[in-house]
Amino acid sequence: MSSFKHPHFMYLFSLKSGGKKLAYGKDPQDALEVIKLRLTSEEQENIIENDYIKVKQSKLQEYVHLLK
Amino acid sequence: MSSKYLKGLVNVAKTPGISEKWEELRILVRSNHPTLWGKLRGTRHFVNDRHEDWKYYGFQAIQRDLKRVTSEMIPSSSKKKSSILWLDLGYFGELLKYDGGETFQDHGLGLLRTILHQEGIETDLVSIRNHRSWDELAKHLKGYKILLMNVRSYRYDIAVTAAQLFHQLNPDGIVMVGGMHTSVDSQSMESIKEFDKICIGAGEKVITDLVRNPDSFPRVFQGKAAATMEDWPLIDRTLWPKPAGWARRFNFTWPLEEGQRWGPRPVASVLTSRVCPWQCSFCNERSYIPNMRRRTVDSVINELNALDDKYQVGSVVIHDSMFFQKKSWLEEWLEKYPQKANKLWSYWAASRADTVCEWPELFEALIRETNWNVVSIGFESGSDPMLRMLNKQSTEEENEFVIQLVNRIGDEMEQEGKTPVSFWSNIMLALPGETHEDAFKTIRMIKRMKRAAIAMAFFTPFPGSALGNQLIAENKSLVNEQFVRDQNVGKILGIDYDFYHNLLQGKYDDEVNQGLSSEEQERDVYQFFSNDAME
Repeated sequence: MSSFKHPHFMYLFSLKSGGKKLAYGKDPQDALEVIKLRLTSEEQENIIENDYIKVKQSKLQEYVHLLK
Repeated sequence: MSSKYLKGLVNVAKTPGISEKWEELRILVRSNHPTLWGKLRGTRHFVNDRHEDWKYYGFQAIQRDLKRVTSEMIPSSSKKKSSILWLDLGYFGELLKYDGGETFQDHGLGLLRTILHQEGIETDLVSIRNHRSWDELAKHLKGYKILLMNVRSYRYDIAVTAAQLFHQLNPDGIVMVGGMHTSVDSQSMESIKEFDKICIGAGEKVITDLVRNPDSFPRVFQGKAAATMEDWPLIDRTLWPKPAGWARRFNFTWPLEEGQRWGPRPVASVLTSRVCPWQCSFCNERSYIPNMRRRTVDSVINELNALDDKYQVGSVVIHDSMFFQKKSWLEEWLEKYPQKANKLWSYWAASRADTVCEWPELFEALIRETNWNVVSIGFESGSDPMLRMLNKQSTEEENEFVIQLVNRIGDEMEQEGKTPVSFWSNIMLALPGETHEDAFKTIRMIKRMKRAAIAMAFFTPFPGSALGNQLIAENKSLVNEQFVRDQNVGKILGIDYDFYHNLLQGKYDDEVNQGLSSEEQERDVYQFFSNDAME
């Protein structure tokens, strides 16, 4: 998991109710696992797992207004 | 009051179990008479500090103190010289008391004020930290055309009040703000009508034009950063606020700093790099601070030597977000600092567990050969799921490796009669999704450190960070304009803060101590978990 061996990325997942959810990890699956550690089952079900875009950290602030 | 304390003291003298009684008396004074407690604490620290100075400098310490007392007898002029005022933000009284809290100076303010003065634009300076109330401060804000403030998230609410007060006193005045909070939460800044000019991003390339021609800038505009830190002028540290309280000034050795007792005073804080490139989800500073080339090793050493020639540096704080991050630079530092610095000053600097695991030999060499005596590592959590939640990109195993490495190096240094290396460690609890066992693992991890000071906070959702932004969007943030890292109040919804308060009072020690050696179990880590952690 170290940053030297496994670079991490950020992902914006679409939500069924509209808007996006920001998650991060070594790949989209890992990012989903991480965000699920803190979400309720209802919140988890709202995420469209195969609808995401990869986001660079340097561009993160451009997407903040989309977050729900 | 006095009879109560006398009785308390008599009890202390007579009763077996003296330490428990002493603790009772300490709590009694601290909770019922905070002012008296502050004075007693200040006196104790004053005596300790003189003792430390004596150990470090010998007879020179007395010479230096006498010289300082003489120089401080000459009062400094407080007359207005300019129509432009800088306001140094902070908490009331911090630069008045012997032990006032915030002890470091604002490098952003120092840099921008230096740039203005080098361009021939004089500015006055008032520090909130040198005053006791808004009423007292108001007298010093009147009569100015421009107010400048460097606003960080944890000073946002203070900046808002200051801007409102400035406008009441100077209806035609202009308030100009910049700083980290403008970059991470420009919306909240724009919502304050008293902020007349809002610079988003770095201010060093625009501040001169802004102050000269405010009308040529829109209300909200993008700042411009230098390409490299070498383009910054060296900060004229005499442009930093001078403590007004005599005792504090004495201790501070302005324009050097008091520091946090990480090494001998006076302290020179310097920056060698800017912006941590990692992506920890509670920070993500790379998303709102542009990348900037690091200073050269020679330039850092030259600045320290120049400061030493003028003010006699006691120790150094390298205030980089991440010092231990570029191997070639660190190797050059390892080679040159022992050779070229006037003295091998001990220093505080930051690292990460995974970088230490990547370059352990370099890390050990820096500790031993460059006197890197306080290693700041944001371990943050002792649990893998929470390290993933924080996008820390380090693991429980890596944390453990580094703790054992520093424990071992510290033991060896002690055997060699040297001051052992110690940790300054940032730790977070009350993280979203954290289980009780995750929290126990974190306390266990702290107990494995032989020599450490812990900066503990409940997770705070800072705007600008990935996790902070997401929690704010989910309406789970309980933080209302006061972005303070502490362990006192709740920060996000869905956390059982009572559990954490009980944990920090040692009420889950049976669970925490599982798997620890008897020596580790005995380690008093709870000393760090209060507002008076630094006492």
